[in-house]
Amino acid sequence: MRLTTPTTVTVKAVGREKLELPKHLFVLAVLAIELLPFYMMLQISFKNNVMFNANPWLPILPGATLVENFRFAYHLILPYAANTIFVSVTAATANLFFAILAAYFFARYKMPFSNVLWSAFLTLMLIPSVTNIVPLFTLLKKLNLLNSLWGLIAVAVASGQVFNIFVLRNFIEDLPRDLFEAAEMDGAGHWKQIIHIVIPLSGPIIGTLFILSFLGCWNDFLMPLIILRDPQLFTLGVGLIYLDGDYAKDWGHIMAAFFMASLPLLIMFLFTMKLFIRGLSAGALKG
Amino acid sequence: MAAFIPTKKALHEWRLYLFVIPSLVLIAVFAYFPAISAVYHSFFDWQGGNYKEFIGWDNFIQAWTDDVLWQSFGTVFILIVANLFKMIPSIAVAVVIHRLVSDRWQYWYRVLVVVPMIVPELVRLFIWKFFYDPTFGLLNKILDWIELKPILVSLDTYVLHWNVFREGFPIPWLSEPHLIVPSLIFWGFPWIGAVGVLIFLAGLESIGREVYETAELDGANGFQKFLYIEFPLILTQIRLMLILMVIGTIQGYGLQLLLLGQDGGAGGAGMVPGLWMFNRAFSAGQFGYACAIGMVLFVFILVLTLINNKYIRIQR
Repeated sequence: MRLTTPTTVTVKAVGREKLELPKHLFVLAVLAIELLPFYMMLQISFKNNVMFNANPWLPILPGATLVENFRFAYHLILPYAANTIFVSVTAATANLFFAILAAYFFARYKMPFSNVLWSAFLTLMLIPSVTNIVPLFTLLKKLNLLNSLWGLIAVAVASGQVFNIFVLRNFIEDLPRDLFEAAEMDGAGHWKQIIHIVIPLSGPIIGTLFILSFLGCWNDFLMPLIILRDPQLFTLGVGLIYLDGDYAKDWGHIMAAFFMASLPLLIMFLFTMKLFIRGLSAGALKG
Repeated sequence: MAAFIPTKKALHEWRLYLFVIPSLVLIAVFAYFPAISAVYHSFFDWQGGNYKEFIGWDNFIQAWTDDVLWQSFGTVFILIVANLFKMIPSIAVAVVIHRLVSDRWQYWYRVLVVVPMIVPELVRLFIWKFFYDPTFGLLNKILDWIELKPILVSLDTYVLHWNVFREGFPIPWLSEPHLIVPSLIFWGFPWIGAVGVLIFLAGLESIGREVYETAELDGANGFQKFLYIEFPLILTQIRLMLILMVIGTIQGYGLQLLLLGQDGGAGGAGMVPGLWMFNRAFSAGQFGYACAIGMVLFVFILVLTLINNKYIRIQR
């Protein structure tokens, strides 16, 4: 209950307003520098090298150069983006599908060996992926998964299991047990219980985990760099690395390509802003 | 809680195990097998093919006497210390955003903080690489513009003696051994980590308006409010971010690989342990030795993870 009279409220609000301005200025100044790279990316994609040298800072009106830059970027990025979307969507979907099944097992039943299996997952949290990379390479070579998008997907799905199962298990354990019992009375099997109880009730958390898995795949460049050889199979990660490796650089082309590479995530962000912000806060638990 | 199923009944319910098998197979093949293989092969002279020869502890002895590896640990140590200071801007931004009265503005600043995360990491990295470019790069242009260059030149002539800042020559940020580590540290200025800011904000949320009002009545200034109200409340989050940062820095090498290449730049000045492992395996073909470097890294990270699990996670 608030018992403040209207007069004190206005006095306080005026006092606060004065204090607010420096805070806004501070945050805005920091964010301006933080976002400077993206401003530069956007405005350089309008120019060619000559125009950029003459006027490096200010944006110019869109012209023929812009069209030229984006035509180049479109043809370069489109196949890479298609590969990346394929890998990220498939990996994130498979990741969550398997994780939901396993989390359901651990959350609902205590079977013989449950604890052993659970520690098999938990122990993995202690093994840093960096030490695996060399043997993983030779393993993929033996499995004939080198230079294949499926190899990339398999590694991504495997490496996401522990965290996703961990989070989902806790979540499913907290779902009301009566629901499951009622469903069992009605003769619903495990599949039906997963489809009609688990998935609808854990929608937001599944969405958050999906975004995290997707983002992880999308941003990864180390695995694609090691696994992929054929230019037709390149994901955005490797594609941009090879683009950066070119000697004669047309910065307008490159920045337009960078912009095109950022576009899919940008669009996704616009629709899932809330899930995104929550997902990123949760992402730190990943460790 | 989970329903308990005794052994006898489990035989009837064996189908339940099928739910966990896909995940289990995946981690067995793609996580446990490589990990065990790494331990095993660290005792072998192995080029990545079928031929290998058992050499006992030789790889580890080689690692102990490997100057590059020692130096790379030194570099990573410098980077960790620098990253410690680089956490300050995120904390400051989170605190200031939290102190804003308007919830609407708080939300929109949060969104703006997240925006850099939706641009692929790689793109951000390459734009920064472009900033460092000697002729086209923005950094040199800005230094000329605010006329800081003459100061750097005299600093170099009289104090540092690096001979890297010269009048009339563009500064080669990423191709001069002396400048590589400073460039790696400056990278990403002003060092706002979206995840960090969001986590600190989540920690700060538990502070009510009244606490601030009481503090104001007691005449606390901005910094005192931080020291006595905000800092203690986000201490857990700061420790969490700290340990994540240390683990991430020790095992990370993507930044160095992309900015400087497999050899860690001119004179190997930007070499870090992870990159040296990558380099030994994929450039020198010494897979066995690379596995041994991986083991050394593993021990470091394991100790840190255990500290993390014991002292930090529990309090969450």
